[in-house]
Amino acid sequence: MARSKPSSSKKQPKRGVDFKKIKRKIGRKLPPPKNATNTEIKSKAIILPEQSVASERAGLAVSKKGLTLKELLQQTSHHNAKVRRDALTGIRDLVLKYPAELTLHKLAIIEKLRERISDEDKVVRETLYQLLKLVIFPALKKDVPGSLISLMMAYIFNGMTHLATDIRLMAFKFFDLVVQHYPSSFFMYAEKVLQNYEDILRKNHIYLQDRSKLKNALVGLVRCLSLLPCNRRTVDPSYGKNTETQGSLHAYELEVPKEHTDFSSIIKRLEDILPILVNCFQDFIPLVHPMSSLDAQSFDCMLYLLRSIDLSVKFFLYGIDKHQTDFGVTKPTYNEKDMPVWGEIATPVFLRKFLEVFPLNQLHNTSGKDEDKFFILNIEITEIFLHSNEWIFTSAILMERFLEFIENLLSGKIRFNSRSGKALQEKHLTSLLPFIPRLVSLVANTWKSRLLQAFTMAFKDCKPESTLNLAFLSAIEEMLLPSKRQGILLLDASEPEILDHQITWIRELPVLLVRLGDTLSSLSKVILHLLLRLGQYAPMNSSLAWEYDIMQHTLGEFYSMCLDDGSILYGPFMKLPKDCQELSVCCLYYFSSLDSLLLRSLVYCCLCDNLEPSVLFRIIDVLHSAYKIGHLQLVDLISFFVTLVARWKVLPGRLYTHVENAKKISNRETFKAITGAVCSCLRQMGDDALIFQIVQRVILDEIPLNPPIDNLCGMLRLLVILDSRPTKLSEQSIIILSNSISEYLIDAASYIPENGDEVTDSNQISICQYYLVPCFFLFDRSDKLLNLVLDLMGSSIGEDNSSLACNHDTQHTLDLSSRIVAVVSILLYMHQDIKIRRRLSSCKGEITRILQKMRLQLIDPCWEQ
Amino acid sequence: MEVVIASSPVDAGIGCWDLHSGAEQLRYRSCTSTPHGLACVGQRFLVSSQLRDSSSSSGTILYWSWNKPQVEVKSFPAEPIHPLISNSDGTYIIGGGSSGAIYFWEVASGRLLKRWHAHYRAATCLFLSDDESLLVSGAEDGCIRVWSLFMVFDDIGMEMAKHPYEYSFSEHTLRVTDVVSGYGGCNAIIVSASEDRTCKVWSLSRGKLLRSIDFPSIIDAVALDPGEHVFYAGARDGKIYIAALNAESTPSNIYGKHIIGSLSDNSKGVTCLAFSMDGILLVSGSEDGTIRVWDAKTRNIVRIFRLAKGPINNVLVVRRPLYSNFQTSANSHASLSRRHVPLLPPPLSKYVNSTDEIVDSGAITVPQTPSSDIMDAPYLSSHVLTKQISELQQQSSAATGMEVDRLKLDCKRSLEMVQKWKEMFADLHKFCVDELLGNDQTQTQ
Repeated sequence: MARSKPSSSKKQPKRGVDFKKIKRKIGRKLPPPKNATNTEIKSKAIILPEQSVASERAGLAVSKKGLTLKELLQQTSHHNAKVRRDALTGIRDLVLKYPAELTLHKLAIIEKLRERISDEDKVVRETLYQLLKLVIFPALKKDVPGSLISLMMAYIFNGMTHLATDIRLMAFKFFDLVVQHYPSSFFMYAEKVLQNYEDILRKNHIYLQDRSKLKNALVGLVRCLSLLPCNRRTVDPSYGKNTETQGSLHAYELEVPKEHTDFSSIIKRLEDILPILVNCFQDFIPLVHPMSSLDAQSFDCMLYLLRSIDLSVKFFLYGIDKHQTDFGVTKPTYNEKDMPVWGEIATPVFLRKFLEVFPLNQLHNTSGKDEDKFFILNIEITEIFLHSNEWIFTSAILMERFLEFIENLLSGKIRFNSRSGKALQEKHLTSLLPFIPRLVSLVANTWKSRLLQAFTMAFKDCKPESTLNLAFLSAIEEMLLPSKRQGILLLDASEPEILDHQITWIRELPVLLVRLGDTLSSLSKVILHLLLRLGQYAPMNSSLAWEYDIMQHTLGEFYSMCLDDGSILYGPFMKLPKDCQELSVCCLYYFSSLDSLLLRSLVYCCLCDNLEPSVLFRIIDVLHSAYKIGHLQLVDLISFFVTLVARWKVLPGRLYTHVENAKKISNRETFKAITGAVCSCLRQMGDDALIFQIVQRVILDEIPLNPPIDNLCGMLRLLVILDSRPTKLSEQSIIILSNSISEYLIDAASYIPENGDEVTDSNQISICQYYLVPCFFLFDRSDKLLNLVLDLMGSSIGEDNSSLACNHDTQHTLDLSSRIVAVVSILLYMHQDIKIRRRLSSCKGEITRILQKMRLQLIDPCWEQ
Repeated sequence: MEVVIASSPVDAGIGCWDLHSGAEQLRYRSCTSTPHGLACVGQRFLVSSQLRDSSSSSGTILYWSWNKPQVEVKSFPAEPIHPLISNSDGTYIIGGGSSGAIYFWEVASGRLLKRWHAHYRAATCLFLSDDESLLVSGAEDGCIRVWSLFMVFDDIGMEMAKHPYEYSFSEHTLRVTDVVSGYGGCNAIIVSASEDRTCKVWSLSRGKLLRSIDFPSIIDAVALDPGEHVFYAGARDGKIYIAALNAESTPSNIYGKHIIGSLSDNSKGVTCLAFSMDGILLVSGSEDGTIRVWDAKTRNIVRIFRLAKGPINNVLVVRRPLYSNFQTSANSHASLSRRHVPLLPPPLSKYVNSTDEIVDSGAITVPQTPSSDIMDAPYLSSHVLTKQISELQQQSSAATGMEVDRLKLDCKRSLEMVQKWKEMFADLHKFCVDELLGNDQTQTQ
């Protein structure tokens, strides 16, 4: 074959071949013809994001595994449990990542998820629970999904009646979750839910083995029942209530009925459920007696059972109570026909039986931990007992047992062993303390005294910072004062023993107040409120009122104390917030005779710089009011006022106003306001002449102490206000006054604006007038005073002339010259005042003498040098 | 005639001025009234409780009739009475004692119908709601209580109820100085002032605090604007503050929240306030012994009256019947009592005498002519009515004859008058017709 080729090639040119013959091997592919038309079509992809939704997931909300919400929801109903579970976790991731998805598709999500409530697989249910609890419900909290709840509820009820116990119990857990987030939903389905609870508890023997599940269900029940209305013992609402900040009083108020009014169905259900709860509890009791210790699960179950019983008893009581109190004022919530259903016949029988089991575990000693548990259970039972004692007449023996328990609890004979026991004990004691007043008022005398004894001891032992104090205080208030609702005294104060206890409590209050200091201002406020109420409500001339009066001796320490070395120790009053201060000031009003010692400690507080002026004015107000109703001696009040004016520290500060001096000026303004307040009080007191005599006497005692110019000015003002024309000042006091006034005038002269100065500060002029005007009034009313003052001024210029004849002390000369300047400016200023000019004309002699003295000074040889 | 009456704790008598002309009327002598202790009983006479020194245990209540300056009737209740009010008909007088008890007297017989323990400390002010079914009382212990007069007399109801009062408000920390109530009976608001420098607004229907307003000074008197837009609060610093009830207040007030302004005349403390009947003029009494009349709209002083040097503690605006009206008053009860018994009712008794009253302590509604409004029915206790009946029976023999004669005479005179009027009317009618017709004729011509 290889040879043939060249031959053929030789031949071909000869033959003049037109077409080249091409031999082809079979099976070999032909090369494409050269002239072949290229029919190949080339295309490039055009990316249109909008169109790629179907397949591309880059722009979409996807879970970690890249699945969209829709797919995930579809997968939740997958037949494989694992897929379902993964789908739920996927939804969780997705929602956490894209919260907007949830709000957009909440209906779809819930609709799909609810199907899983009764899922056969335990893990799936658990995942769903977590999903709802942690993600979905918190996120949906804001918008009220009423329809969503009803969507869920259908399936929850389905679950509750499921054959599989696991699913059933889980359904309760789901319901608990719903109620937790939307408490109102309980009332919508209360009847049905309670019915289901009843069913499940009836068959409790089945679940006794699986206590954790039962516990879960019971937690839900407790939560539901705690939503029922009951008589809440709240602390006096006026303590913490801040006045509403309504814009206008008569504005339309949207009134939503807060309570679901139709309780009758709930009542019936509860009636049925209560005996079952009791039975269930009694099933647990055999567990208590064997030597084996009580395990945590069954303890919890018992605890929750007790709580449920407690809550339902409370609810019954509330209904009964409501029936009685609604006397025409508000419409009764229950119809008449509900009345017999109120369980007064049916319930107590088994409750009594139930209460017989008290006290648990007194038979043998087990480990400390267990004892605590029993202790808690006992307290719970006691609480139920106390709640129900108003309508069950228990046997005396049982009553004794309870009372003894309470007494031991109060006196601390029973204690918790574990470390956290202290806090626990306080917590439980707080829940029992509100019952004490009622209990004490009802029980027989021997127990009354024992209980009160224990109560008083416990109150005394209670540490000031303990939270128990609040509960103690409200109990004490109830036992001391006529109660707010009934208006009658709970305890008869005429019995000496009760009175003794009451007195002990009252005496303890100021001590507690002082010990508290300013650490717990809220508690201090409660105490002060109690004191105030005591002052207001203690019957007149009773021993309680007497005790209240005595209290002022201890209360002095609360304000301030004068130590032996003369320094002042300020009490907690200074550091407490303003509302407490005001309360404590109000308490002063009700002392039937205010003690001068208390006034003294009060005046120290008033003189302290840190006291807010508004509180100071309140003190003045209250003392004046107390005087008006005869709770304060006139002399005491006046000496209080004068001391205040004479000693109040006005910060020295020149009044040439600089910014940094602003504070000092305001201080002077405060002083002016104080003087004004005192003046108006003095004027309202009545007999001016008598008051003037007293004020004059007190002021004359103060003046020799050389008070600062401002205080002297204040005192002069007090005198001027009460004095009349001609003056009522006595001879002796005129002499004393003239001494200090001459000095005062020379000091005040420095405020007189200089004549040459054109831009006289208006502020300065007013200050100057403020200082001088009271003197002018006095001069106007008494010529003698003016004469004396002028004499003294004259002698103050000339007095040194003879003794220190030629003392070349420049200091002295400077002093003297400034003094002369002051005297001259005073005289000139007095001359400007028309009234005083007239007066001055009558004492020309004194003025000439002054001028002569000045001349003498001027020609003194000392000056010539 | 609308008059301002004012009294003082120092003996300056009760001043009385015509509000519109400013003319001073009779001054009633020897009165030292307690705060809130002046009242006008049914426009018939004045009554005031008296300040006494604390030594005497009993109090004093005095009556003055309109036309005599002397005290006419004196009564001595068991303890000093501070506040005193009367209902608008003048059937009852209610007083608050210094022990905190409230006394309830019937004016016509002077009997003490009820005395009950209302407060722990002395009562300071009383106020009747506008329908006179609720009594609001304030006390020195800062407590305000609302009583239903209906309940107070319902002994069985009182026992059933947990507390005798409707409400007890104890948010004030110091003495309550004044209480007023708005319109609307049991749905009204009440405004109270206290020495703790606040005024508080309460709702009677809901029984709760609506608003608390802090003032720069102690408020001694409160007056409600008739429209209840604002209330006026007379303070010890001499100003009358205006506090908003309805309006939204701007936070940048100089006095404080809700206070929208003040009336000020640089006087001493304002102790009492009262509104005139038309609700435009506000009358204030002051510590300095003057009574100022303000125009509440323009906030200017219209008039100043001067009573005494001492302080004033009561100001009332009352309608005083003119003497001419007095005689022709159609009220049979009033005319009867005026003619046959002394002008003023007997003094108020000291104690509730419980011997014979149990039997007939009920109230009787006097049957009215059908035309008159049922709400205006005067309530009198059966005791008074039996007394009046017996009086009628006694006097029927002698006095009735005279009465009948007199009435016949009256009737005759009236008939003559009627005749005369008729004639005059006919004349006038003829004259008018002539005039009209004459005019027509002149026009047509």
